[in-house]
Amino acid sequence: MQSLLAIPVAVLLLAAVGTPTRAASGPREPQTWAVDSSTTGVLVEDHRAPLVELRLVLPVGMWSAWPPRSYDVGAAWDLQFRDARGALRARADRLAADVSFSNDAHSFALAVGCRREDLDSVLVLVRDILANRNLDVREVARRNRTNVIDWKSGQRNPDFMLGLTARRLLRRENDPRAWPLKPWRIGSDVARLTAARDSLLRFPGRFIGFAGDLTRAETERLAAGLLPQAMSPPPELLGSGLKPVRPPDQRPRDVVVPLPRLTQVYFKYVRDALPLGDPDWPALLVANHVLGGNFYSRLGTALRHKGGYTYSANSGFGVEPDTTMYEIGTYTRTAAADTVERKIREVLATFRERGITEEERAAAAGYFVGRRAFLRQSPAQVLDRFLWERARGLAPGARDAAVDRAAALSLDEINAVIRRFYDPAAFTMIRAQAK
Amino acid sequence: MTQRRQASSAHAGRRLLLVLPLLGLVGVLLGTACAATPPGFIHEVLPNGMEVSILPDSSHPIVATRVWYDVGAANEEPGTRGFVHLFEHLMFGGTATRDKRAYWDHHHACGGSNNAYTDWDETVYQSDIPPAGHAQVLELEADRMIHLRLDQENLDNEKRIVTEELRAGTENDPMARVQLAALKGVLREHPYAVSPVGTREDIAAVSLERVRDFYARYYKPRNAHLIVVGPVDGDSLLSDVRRIFGALPAAGVTPPDVPPLLGWPCPPEVDLKEDLPPAKIAFLAYLLPPPSAPDADAVAILCEMLAGGYANPYREDLVVRRRKALFAGTIRLDQRRGGAFVFVSGVLPNRNKAAQFRDMGETVKNLGRKDWLTDESLAALKRKLMRRYENQNYFAAERAEAIGAERWRTGDVGRAFDRAERVGAVTPGQVAAAFDKYIAEVSPVRVYIQPERIPLLVKMFGWLLPLFVHA
Repeated sequence: MQSLLAIPVAVLLLAAVGTPTRAASGPREPQTWAVDSSTTGVLVEDHRAPLVELRLVLPVGMWSAWPPRSYDVGAAWDLQFRDARGALRARADRLAADVSFSNDAHSFALAVGCRREDLDSVLVLVRDILANRNLDVREVARRNRTNVIDWKSGQRNPDFMLGLTARRLLRRENDPRAWPLKPWRIGSDVARLTAARDSLLRFPGRFIGFAGDLTRAETERLAAGLLPQAMSPPPELLGSGLKPVRPPDQRPRDVVVPLPRLTQVYFKYVRDALPLGDPDWPALLVANHVLGGNFYSRLGTALRHKGGYTYSANSGFGVEPDTTMYEIGTYTRTAAADTVERKIREVLATFRERGITEEERAAAAGYFVGRRAFLRQSPAQVLDRFLWERARGLAPGARDAAVDRAAALSLDEINAVIRRFYDPAAFTMIRAQAK
Repeated sequence: MTQRRQASSAHAGRRLLLVLPLLGLVGVLLGTACAATPPGFIHEVLPNGMEVSILPDSSHPIVATRVWYDVGAANEEPGTRGFVHLFEHLMFGGTATRDKRAYWDHHHACGGSNNAYTDWDETVYQSDIPPAGHAQVLELEADRMIHLRLDQENLDNEKRIVTEELRAGTENDPMARVQLAALKGVLREHPYAVSPVGTREDIAAVSLERVRDFYARYYKPRNAHLIVVGPVDGDSLLSDVRRIFGALPAAGVTPPDVPPLLGWPCPPEVDLKEDLPPAKIAFLAYLLPPPSAPDADAVAILCEMLAGGYANPYREDLVVRRRKALFAGTIRLDQRRGGAFVFVSGVLPNRNKAAQFRDMGETVKNLGRKDWLTDESLAALKRKLMRRYENQNYFAAERAEAIGAERWRTGDVGRAFDRAERVGAVTPGQVAAAFDKYIAEVSPVRVYIQPERIPLLVKMFGWLLPLFVHA
């Protein structure tokens, strides 16, 4: 019976794959192919709307060895969209295209969204942006001035100052994870900026991603020749630029950041987190969720729901294959600051000593599994998640697999990691308070 | 980390939704690109007055539910600022038969999320959840609509929480402080002049008696609109809604109307000082008609053409071509009873006030030539809006928000589905007429914000600042 049913089902599936007409299904799984020996093409088909998203992802990020030597170039990645006459931007407007530039720890990316009917013209625009050598020098000057203003504005903001202080404490000055430690300053040597951009585009290991109302045959045609030929062999600068983390015994345990006019005290309790590949990472995911990763977390309950000391109390850490920062953050009225600091330490001590309960573990596991539906609403979501993993050299689905492992852990496994990780000797308490 | 971002975004989301109106960034009302009401869409008014909108769509992996209460911060009276937002918090306080965690626990166990926001015109409760968990959401919403537990202990705790939210979101952020002051300075006694988060003094004065009275008056079916979008069976869900909500008693009152913004007497000029970095900021603020006005679509397109895009004509003229400002942008306020469009410029501290306003005025005058308004530019803008509406269709939550916004901002739920047609019908002449009527032919309110302290050396030699700022 099952095999009889399988035939029409297979026919229907094949028909759906081969037909680029509108369908009421969501985004499909990513398909990949080799555009050339240094470039991978990716497609996430979704024919619900006549929309297309394009991603160019370059395998060098702010934590790679390359940007420190060309740091201003990294900060100026989007300047290639700003030609002196504004012609590129005006073309993007005429094509009703969204064009955005980004960089993160492991990649530089260009993202474009447009209607399917405009895609050919948009790809011509993309080629022209990537070949632009006529950068607007005045925009560089304006950017440098506004960067200083933004920096000074940040120095009046407790969250900004806590973040800056934490990076200074936990990272060495030449570690990209510490940056920025001062306002960005972009060099005005246009030839140098464009040469650095050209290098970026030629690093091997690139991805050209499409999502939306396209077929594989169309995207293979569109991706061909979109990027210049890659360098061969790959340069050493593709590697990591990270420096060893500063050990806990080399940083203070308590730091106060004075700021004018604050009517509250802001807390950040920090240490190094675990990299994604660490065997303890899945347990830390569960532990953090229970401690400060949800509305009724241990911290939220102690500081918000019981006593109304704060509006927000949470904990979290950056997900990367490298060591990131683990942060517990909250704020409260000045008069309650000492009470709140004591409560943070008490919650941590109890958490470490007794661990989480089976009820908390099961709720966290249910949450992780159910949450996955939210990540598959649009084709761009699926594509971006896939590219995030691949830009870091991770297998497709690596994050989901890690979450699955987290959901399957036993209570004892999680609590053993909690005892190791939440050692107060590893943490530094930073307080931003009124001068 | 995904889980952490989700949890903190719930906090941030609520704060953001409170702050965004202050920034005037509420933005364009959302719509959809459907040629007509989509198949299966249901809109019904129950006998007790509650409105129900259901949009079944099996392509969504989650179900979005919104309960839209027709009462917002603009309905507060003087001395009660922040009350409606405080009440929003109390709605998470449990019911006669359910613990205060029940609503949240249910969402959490399913991987769902829930939140709420208070705007000037409405209070909205949001639930996004995988389909398996949706049925109980309706029971939970109905329960707290009629059986909410209101006690002194919870009120006192939420007053403390809301006060910390207010301190963090406004008191301790210089930009937020000055934006609030600008809003108050421009709109003075209008109900939109005070942030929905309110004032510390008014929050402290809220009594349990007042809370109970407010609940009895406004949190009733006749002031509520239930919206569900996602993979649901429309007819079956409607039966459930009738059973669960239809039995609730019809009671309560409709909140008093809010005066229109257009024509509101504003002062010609507002001067402010704040602890800001070395830059002077100027606003030219123009009042706009409400989203229900006959020319609202032309006004919306006008604002997009002036503010949106990578080469928006205001910044291109003031900053790029004439080099009269370091930065420039626009702010849009869009509320049920009217809006505002604000041109912004920032200059280094050596520039004086008169020159800054003169330069902005010249740019606005240059915009009056309407070089930015061509058949081609209008067609491109329409394509951009179409793309925005189509992209929205990927997300059940955005579609649910759009249905509520059109119903309560314009009075017509159907406008959530004919947005593309309405935008497509706008002509260059209508956009030009909107520019003339609301910008060219009226005097704006001038808001001037300068740093409290400008160092003497900067005052004397500020003109050299561009050369040495990075020395």
